[in-house]
Amino acid sequence: MSILKTDFGGDRGELFQLALKTGLLTVLTVGLYRFWQTTRLRRWYWSSIRIGSNPLEYTGTAQEKLTGFLLAVIVLAFYLMLFNGAAMYFVIGLSEGAPDYLNLAMATTPLALVPIIFMARYRARRYILSRTRWRGIRMGMSGGAWGYAWRACMYWVLTILSVGLLWPLMTFQLEKYLTDRTWFGDAPFMQFGSAAMLSGAILPFLLMLWASIGLPVAAVMTGQNLYYMGLILTIPLTAVTAVSYRVGSVRIMASMKTLGDGMEFDIAPGTGRLIRIHIFGRILTSLVIAFVSPVVLGIVLGLIYLSGSYDPSMLLAPPPMIAAIIAVATWLTVFVLYGICQQVFIVFPIVKHIGETFELHEPTLLQTVRQRARADGRDAGGFADALDVGAAF
Amino acid sequence: MSGPAPRNPDFAARFAKFHADMYDGLSPVTQRVSVAVVGPELELTNTETRTTQVWRLDALRNLPDQAASDTLMLARSDDHPARLIIREAATAREILRAIPDLRPLRGSRGGWFRVGVMGLAAVGALAGILFGLVPVMADRGAMYVPPASEVALGQIVYDEIFAARGAVTCTATAGTVALDQMESRLMAGVSLPYPLTVRVVQDPLVNAFALPGGHIVIHSALIDAAETPEEVAAVLAHEIGHVAHRDGTRAVLRSVGSFGLIGLTMGDVFGGSVIAGLTRAALDSSYSRAAEEAADAYAITMLRNVGVSPGALATFFERMQASGQSMELGVFQHLSSHPDTLQRITAARAADIGQGRPILDAASWAALQGICADTTTAGDPQFAPNSTVAGAANK
Repeated sequence: MSILKTDFGGDRGELFQLALKTGLLTVLTVGLYRFWQTTRLRRWYWSSIRIGSNPLEYTGTAQEKLTGFLLAVIVLAFYLMLFNGAAMYFVIGLSEGAPDYLNLAMATTPLALVPIIFMARYRARRYILSRTRWRGIRMGMSGGAWGYAWRACMYWVLTILSVGLLWPLMTFQLEKYLTDRTWFGDAPFMQFGSAAMLSGAILPFLLMLWASIGLPVAAVMTGQNLYYMGLILTIPLTAVTAVSYRVGSVRIMASMKTLGDGMEFDIAPGTGRLIRIHIFGRILTSLVIAFVSPVVLGIVLGLIYLSGSYDPSMLLAPPPMIAAIIAVATWLTVFVLYGICQQVFIVFPIVKHIGETFELHEPTLLQTVRQRARADGRDAGGFADALDVGAAF
Repeated sequence: MSGPAPRNPDFAARFAKFHADMYDGLSPVTQRVSVAVVGPELELTNTETRTTQVWRLDALRNLPDQAASDTLMLARSDDHPARLIIREAATAREILRAIPDLRPLRGSRGGWFRVGVMGLAAVGALAGILFGLVPVMADRGAMYVPPASEVALGQIVYDEIFAARGAVTCTATAGTVALDQMESRLMAGVSLPYPLTVRVVQDPLVNAFALPGGHIVIHSALIDAAETPEEVAAVLAHEIGHVAHRDGTRAVLRSVGSFGLIGLTMGDVFGGSVIAGLTRAALDSSYSRAAEEAADAYAITMLRNVGVSPGALATFFERMQASGQSMELGVFQHLSSHPDTLQRITAARAADIGQGRPILDAASWAALQGICADTTTAGDPQFAPNSTVAGAANK
């Protein structure tokens, strides 16, 4: 039995340069460059993941992403208009009795977007896969975004009604729906197994979740405020066990997937490692912003001083123009630095860690795979961009 | 592109000292190929099957933004999925020597026209909906809201904007009586679907608002700034105009109708929020300009009918404009910066009927000026977060 292992060929310094350059261009173009930024970062990350020393290739273009985004804006504008129109008449219809109808309507309008968000995620994934190649062969995904959206809504309702007991069912069925529609060339992926295999992984998370819900309930019922103290322990543990469940479920389900005539996978990221990356990443981000922004601001202030528009009275009552320049400079600096740190300290180590644990078994079976036809990703993940539910890059 | 055999096998073989991995774009199987630059072409010969492919040098592109600097990834400009992966430095040097100006692979050209068309369509759709459909729907919708709910809605808006922030209402008895007197004089022969609720709130900013359902709020500074009771009456008539036109209710329905639409362009934290802010400002200004003019016209008719000269409105506007008061809100919106300011003043001035009948006698005017001698703090001074009912006031 042979195995293809994965190595990560990217260099953090190179990513820093790319993130800095694209971040500045995004700011200078009032956000328009972000489609190019995303595309370039994806190309970089894809090429750094080398399965059996062969890198992935991302072939999406910024132009198609921008076009897709604009298409999504048009479609969503009409959808929201229809929905808002309905909400408006709902407001008027309900207004006979309840005086609080306004708040009710305001609270329910965002629900209109929930199925759209699931649809957008599916389509974004489909687009990304259609623009991913390995060894010259395209990946792909069959249609089914709306089927995914209503299933996701239904499983969320079931999960909430069952106080979380059916969570593994949701995880497994949605993952199976996605996997069974994914292709590498003409070879289909398939998800085997059942929701039951996730029950062990979810147990700690459910216990912590129930405890976090149960403690305040107990406190209210008995009037004993001491119960609240337990939350100090259960809330962080809920977060940790949630990550652990996510990681565990991905690992278990990956081991039960096949590709084509019997290729299999392994992916084994460490929960502790991912949590450490997040914690240290945030600390480093704060430190960088705290130490670098004053330097940039100092340069801005220095330029203002050198331009001769400085006068001691400004310290107490800065003229609006100068105050605006300083405020905008601060905001832009923090914005650009945050974006860079996010890539360098969080996304980079996570992709590297997860990528390095990936293995492909029985690669000799690859010779049975043939190319698939090109797919036109009409909206190119634009719905996810318009609703801002896209990934980190 | 693949030829059956090299034209001169011996010649090719002699120079075949450079190697690369090739993927033909049909199968994921790695093909080890020898690489030879022959004239304007690259000959790739499979080391096992001895079959040869020929790639034109000027059609070769490298993949941009690649993370691994130890590999050269080559593609063809004709969008073919075949790839050549060069890991040996010598091979890379040989190819770069043959193509010194190796360019990065670009997406297909001609996409910009599509981007432009889609951009115009997106802007057009958003503008059409926000500036065309939503206001029409709100105007129609406002007709169907029962008056009782409008009154309740106005109370909610008042509570959220004024009461929840600990606004102080002026309630001196004599002043309240004078205000009632002014109101009933103006309202003679006018019927509104709901009674007016006029409040004076202590605030240093010269301003007045009409909320949904007949709730009118006048800032104490406005009464202080007025030199005659007719000026206050003119502003009050203007606000009654907003009430009669149901502008407050329409504003609420518009904000329901435009929910989420402006946010679509945001996408990220920076650029989008600037654009969203500008859109919001343009939207509010386009909605309210027409409403302000309509309320002026209503006020002029109302003042004339009760024998008060509408010129008072012009006098007050002019004084406010001259004093450089912040006039970006409420009744004074557009007064400072918009070209139609003069038009509004001229319109009111043109309607002047000279010396009319005084709206209040001297004693009542003095009482109104002293309405803040007694105050009550409206509601609990709990500082509520910004209300979600944006757009409800401001008229």
